[in-house]
Amino acid sequence: MDKNEKLVFDVIVVGAGLSGSAAAAIAARGGLKVAVIERGQNPGSKNYFGGALYTHSLMEIYPDFWDRKPPLERPVTETGFWFLSTDGLVKATVQGGKVNSNPIDAYVALRAKFDAWWAEQAQKEGAFIIPKTLVVDFIRENGKVVGVKTDRDQGDIYAPVVIITEGVNNLLTQKLGLAKHDLKGESSALAVKQLISLPAATINARFGLTDNDHGAALSVMGDVSMGLPGLGFLYTGVDCVSVGVGVTLEALREAGIKPYELLQRYMNHPMIAPLIAGGRLMEYGAHIIPEGGWSTMPQLYTDGVMVAGDAASMVNALHWEGTNMAIVAGKSAAETAIEAHQKKDFSAQSLSSYRARLDKRFIMKDLRQYRNLSHFLKTHPDFMAIYPTFLNDALGMFFTGFGKPKGQLYKDILKSLTSRRPLLKAVGDIVAFGRTIIGI
Amino acid sequence: MTETSVTKKNDLPEVYIDDILMSLKYFTDEHEAHLKIIDPQVCVNCKEKPCIQFCPVGAYRTQDGGTVQIAFQSCVECGTCRVMCPPANVSWKLPRGGFGVSYKFG
Repeated sequence: MDKNEKLVFDVIVVGAGLSGSAAAAIAARGGLKVAVIERGQNPGSKNYFGGALYTHSLMEIYPDFWDRKPPLERPVTETGFWFLSTDGLVKATVQGGKVNSNPIDAYVALRAKFDAWWAEQAQKEGAFIIPKTLVVDFIRENGKVVGVKTDRDQGDIYAPVVIITEGVNNLLTQKLGLAKHDLKGESSALAVKQLISLPAATINARFGLTDNDHGAALSVMGDVSMGLPGLGFLYTGVDCVSVGVGVTLEALREAGIKPYELLQRYMNHPMIAPLIAGGRLMEYGAHIIPEGGWSTMPQLYTDGVMVAGDAASMVNALHWEGTNMAIVAGKSAAETAIEAHQKKDFSAQSLSSYRARLDKRFIMKDLRQYRNLSHFLKTHPDFMAIYPTFLNDALGMFFTGFGKPKGQLYKDILKSLTSRRPLLKAVGDIVAFGRTIIGI
Repeated sequence: MTETSVTKKNDLPEVYIDDILMSLKYFTDEHEAHLKIIDPQVCVNCKEKPCIQFCPVGAYRTQDGGTVQIAFQSCVECGTCRVMCPPANVSWKLPRGGFGVSYKFG
């Protein structure tokens, strides 16, 4: 290439994650010349989650998704909450019925494998993937973004639209002033995970799964986080189990605990240890989840720029949604970019239809509805300490109350609650939690 | 606080994080540390030093004299130290393209 020749694309996508490669695929399919700049060795090598992907979002990008042989682990055929006390467990999971949809709504996946494949699909649509390259700044003309500077020699790349899908550490989004401040400790959770290798038959036996086409996605509360505002999880892969725990950064710092020790404590729990006994550690990792959602969402667009995915705080912490929002938002940004090219107008005004697209979908509706969730957890720091343990006590007493007067049994159950939380406060907690999730 | 509350730290198991980090693959940048302590004296004066605890790979270690050293080679680029260092004394950048942690499974 001529040294003085400018490298010009129609769209630059920063980061080949779920959102970035979805954006790239849609934009390329729409006839645009797309560059995806990825800092990792390969797409996926920096990406990390629990976790499960949601088929509605995957099929929205590729209607023939299943014919493309995606590298997924198990379908989620059993899902729900596990409530841990120090030595007990109450399970509230659902299987069959609505969970047994066709296709199954959620699939367990491993991101390094999946995201590499996901980027390949975008490549097949015509997107150009540039790995091992870090975007360090923007190129501006007349105050407007017209491209990016990378850490490569002569690494300037131009495009009239840049879609930022840089992930949770949204330093570029901050650099543009779209995010007014860095992440906050109260609304960001650090999740740590061990991926444990076990034979598929062992996983089936221990988790009560019929065969390798059945899988579990479990959200674990209570003793898993030592009562701190946070959640644990368990996901079954084909021949591996993801076991992890996430706690808000603020709670983690205040408690002064090491996240990997918290995880090990969870793995040593008498109800959890037998599930992973004899397993070999395949990989450890850590990642921040931007749980602030609506309350920490940056401005989503400006002249020549749109932001999607974790970089835009698109996470619904209660429903474990994030990957699907990232994908749908990536698609919406790409559609907006296509429209902007048709109009030859890349101004903020023109790109505002990105926001309008998101407003129409579950993304903005849900994030707005759950906007007070991180505030609720901050103002109810003992929530995860009290209720999962109470549930264990209450059900434990109910189902062992043989040969005792039942009037006393109910008094004891009530006392196990009121010894932890005065009754009126408990009622207040439930009402406040209800209001938080209804969004009033 | 209830019996499951967070004040009970003593039931945390001891974990040798370096053993766990053997499961991770890194492409280490020998020429540039992407994490740096901005002013070593600020760490000396920081009584709390929560970085020693909260870093998920234990990259922060205290030295004689109360300074803090970062084993940037172990970093998984999570961002916790940038957000939570009380005196904001960490210069946090992403590693250069192609360097740093490289998840095999993710």
